[in-house]
Amino acid sequence: MNDSYRNPFSGINAGTLDDQAILDYWCSPFAYRLFSEIKETDIYEDPNNIVLLGGRSTGKTMFLRYWSFPVQLKLANQNKDSKSRKIIDYFKEKKGLGFYIRIDGPILRSFNGSGIDSAKWNSIFTHYFELIVGRNYIEAIKKFYESDELNMVEVENHFIPEVKTILNAPQIVSLDELLKEFDSRIKEVDLFRGNVPFFKTDFIPSKGGFASQSLSFGIPKIAKKTISEFKESINFILLIDEYENYLEPQQRVINTLLRFSKNEIRFRIGMRLEGFRTFNMISEDDFIKEGREYRKAVFEDVLIKSKEYHNFLKEVSKKRLESVKIFKEKGKSDITEFLSKSEDLEKEALELVAKNPEKHFSHFKKSLKDSDIDAIKFKENPLLELLNILWVLRGIPANEVKAAMEDYLKGNTTGEKVKKYHMDYVDKYKLSLMFLLCSIYRKHKKYYSFNTFSFLSSGIVGNFIELCRRAFQYAEFENKDLLIKEWKIPKEQQTKAALDFSEAELQQINRIESYGGFIHKFINNIGNIFRDFHKDDKIRYPETNQFSTDIDNLTDQKFTDAMRAAIKWSVVQKKPTIQQPSPGKHLKDIYTINRIYSPSFQISYRTRGGYSVKLTASDIVKLMTEENVSSKNYLKQISDESENPNTSLNLFDYI
Amino acid sequence: MKKFIYEMELVSAEVIKKDSFDIFLLAGGSDYRAYEILRIMKSEDVSINKILLFAFQERIQGIDTSDAYYNYLKIGFSNILPIHCSIKEPNSCLDGLISLESEILTAKKIALDISCFTKPFFFYLIKLFKERFKIHRITVFYTEPQSYLFPRGIFSSYRSSTGPLTILEIPGFTGYEARGDKRVLVILLGFDGDLSKEINEDISPSETLVVNGFPSYAPKFKDISLIANEKLTSDKDVQIIFSKANNPFDVFNLLESIKNKKHNDRPFINIAPLGTKPMALGVCLFALYYPEVRVVYPLPETYEKITTDNCWNSWRYLIPLNELR
Repeated sequence: MNDSYRNPFSGINAGTLDDQAILDYWCSPFAYRLFSEIKETDIYEDPNNIVLLGGRSTGKTMFLRYWSFPVQLKLANQNKDSKSRKIIDYFKEKKGLGFYIRIDGPILRSFNGSGIDSAKWNSIFTHYFELIVGRNYIEAIKKFYESDELNMVEVENHFIPEVKTILNAPQIVSLDELLKEFDSRIKEVDLFRGNVPFFKTDFIPSKGGFASQSLSFGIPKIAKKTISEFKESINFILLIDEYENYLEPQQRVINTLLRFSKNEIRFRIGMRLEGFRTFNMISEDDFIKEGREYRKAVFEDVLIKSKEYHNFLKEVSKKRLESVKIFKEKGKSDITEFLSKSEDLEKEALELVAKNPEKHFSHFKKSLKDSDIDAIKFKENPLLELLNILWVLRGIPANEVKAAMEDYLKGNTTGEKVKKYHMDYVDKYKLSLMFLLCSIYRKHKKYYSFNTFSFLSSGIVGNFIELCRRAFQYAEFENKDLLIKEWKIPKEQQTKAALDFSEAELQQINRIESYGGFIHKFINNIGNIFRDFHKDDKIRYPETNQFSTDIDNLTDQKFTDAMRAAIKWSVVQKKPTIQQPSPGKHLKDIYTINRIYSPSFQISYRTRGGYSVKLTASDIVKLMTEENVSSKNYLKQISDESENPNTSLNLFDYI
Repeated sequence: MKKFIYEMELVSAEVIKKDSFDIFLLAGGSDYRAYEILRIMKSEDVSINKILLFAFQERIQGIDTSDAYYNYLKIGFSNILPIHCSIKEPNSCLDGLISLESEILTAKKIALDISCFTKPFFFYLIKLFKERFKIHRITVFYTEPQSYLFPRGIFSSYRSSTGPLTILEIPGFTGYEARGDKRVLVILLGFDGDLSKEINEDISPSETLVVNGFPSYAPKFKDISLIANEKLTSDKDVQIIFSKANNPFDVFNLLESIKNKKHNDRPFINIAPLGTKPMALGVCLFALYYPEVRVVYPLPETYEKITTDNCWNSWRYLIPLNELR
């Protein structure tokens, strides 16, 4: 039995999956209405270029690869229902062929330096990019040709001769030779990149260089002109991944292609948020603009408004669980069975206080009368006891608090007090009370359940998968029988997984290519400030974990750039709609820190809205450049702003 | 290379006193082991015509003459010529070396102490000596550290570098990819788990193999590297293999056997030498022998000034550059 187990959540990088695995693991985001900006048919049909934005592991690569020719070809073959129907008809119905282009970061970064000036590198890169794209086209056409999907005469007598003319390679007579020619030209660039650090020589391509568009637009044009199957209805879709890795001059080359893209050639570009290094084109005085050269679709929605995201994660998990023999055989493909559906806060609170069930009363002893304490005790639920304390501290007589609690427990919903009590407990404070209880008992909050992991993932599918991977890893190591016989992962192991991943992600911030140090300091500081909000004994602003600022008006551009880098890496997430930072305040952009950091700072994994910590330009600079910034000034904001006469102006003054 | 029986010896007074060198290259550094070989040579009265000390601006910034970096001045060699350069740009030393081209071309015995060079830098130097200066043979020295520094416990706190990372091809080791072929990534594991994960994501190979140093300098090291790289090594598709931590030729042979096994797939092989420097030396030799192989490395914003403690064994390797095609 043990041999039939492996961690279902290992192997999360879509870039490393083979074409079949892409199909096996594919969960259509359209089926769950995750994007409002695009619909499925837009991928091949929309004449606009589309930029797909999202943080690391949001599924961009999976998405782009799914629409690529090799994966769709597999799908077409799997779905082929009759021998007479041609494969190319599948693509004609879809109205497009997708060409997945991923040039890895180390290659892109090598087109730089070694004493060669930027303009020359730009020409070399353009030549290289054209070859890479051109080769992709030829490979696809060759696949169709070899499967007798295309007219042989058209390909051999018209298509190949026209392409070999552009290539200046008159000896070529077949698609195989064309491919070899592309490979040899690409190798020529690779060899140059390998030698230039030692010899500082110029790049002189043996058969001439390719200018922008010559192959990327040129070959589709020839294909449409010479091959009847391509004449109508098939668009050439360039699926460019990891655009944020392209250096600024390289983005200018591609941006220019976006501007001049033809009807039959469309771009679908995947990149991180803020992944454009420039909007400029090759010509210095021209630029691309959203709504004109492209429209965008966002893959990362921090608010996760709909339940569909949770259902999507269940579907992703189901596919992974079913790929493991033991789970498939036993029909265990529901992730909520392993993690539990949601937290049981009452149980968690009881476990927390078990050894010292009255510590929360002694914590507030200076502010409570003994008779009040006796009245509001309810040892079956420490969270209700804490809520009762809160009410008494706010000036409500203990006997009234007790009555409201008893009505609530009986399910009696008539009367203002019990309604308010119900609302305070269920809708408003329950999780905050748990955090406060943990703070009083100096214990860690537990992070467990499918619901919690979904929230912690911050709209990033890869984060959810990694949380599950670590939870299954701990479960396998610590109690495998429970995992493969009872299908359970205890909340302690889930919590370890969440804490580990949170810490690892926090540490990773330092490694961010640009401004990693600034961002790391900022997150540590703001995380600790949020933590102090969660420790507020009066819970005046429950679950505060967002801030408002105007990043375009920071005094120094580098801090604006640092904040943009934080967004690009999904360390900070911008809330999609403008909202008031606090009731009655001016409109500003609101940001949250990625919820995956919540376990590290012991703060809420939800973003409720409500209060935002206001950060001025000088606050941002301070938080980015200083260690261990005191939260005092930020906590003072809530004291100063508090309109509730029952609320003390000083935090913790009654302890 | 295949015909060559390798030579590697533990450095001792007995071994080294027979040596003499026309040019000796080493990197300035604050690590204790930075000048260990130089010290031994002085104590054994080894003759060296010219010592080229690679003075990295990143290591000199912010230190004064009391720093251990300047200990080379106390050893007693007077013929030390600094080559000013930058860690981030290996070819920043090119002009300095070209100005010595005639001496290099006529030198019969050249030695390189890789103990304190960053890996991309010594890769660059070895290829430079082979390709540009057409040197047939060099002697490489390496001093093992007695221990590495683990500021917060041994399993996750070792950092050879700090700050942002950029994954780069080592200059001159770009390889060439036959398009459409499988990508294989071979990672020689180090202690810094962030690096392997980052490289694996950036390269996105269809297959990843990790090589752990075993036997390692000390028994615990092989476990530390596996645990530090848990995220990568726990992946179902990642294979773990072993190679001696101090033997570049063993690594060469291992890589060659991997290449031969995968011959039918004609994969594009990428190698990330994150383990010990002798293992990285093996990668360097392999990539010189098979130029179609690519070597990738994470370049951090800054390296830690000191990552090791005291010296352990020193090794001498004879490298036949002319046999590497």
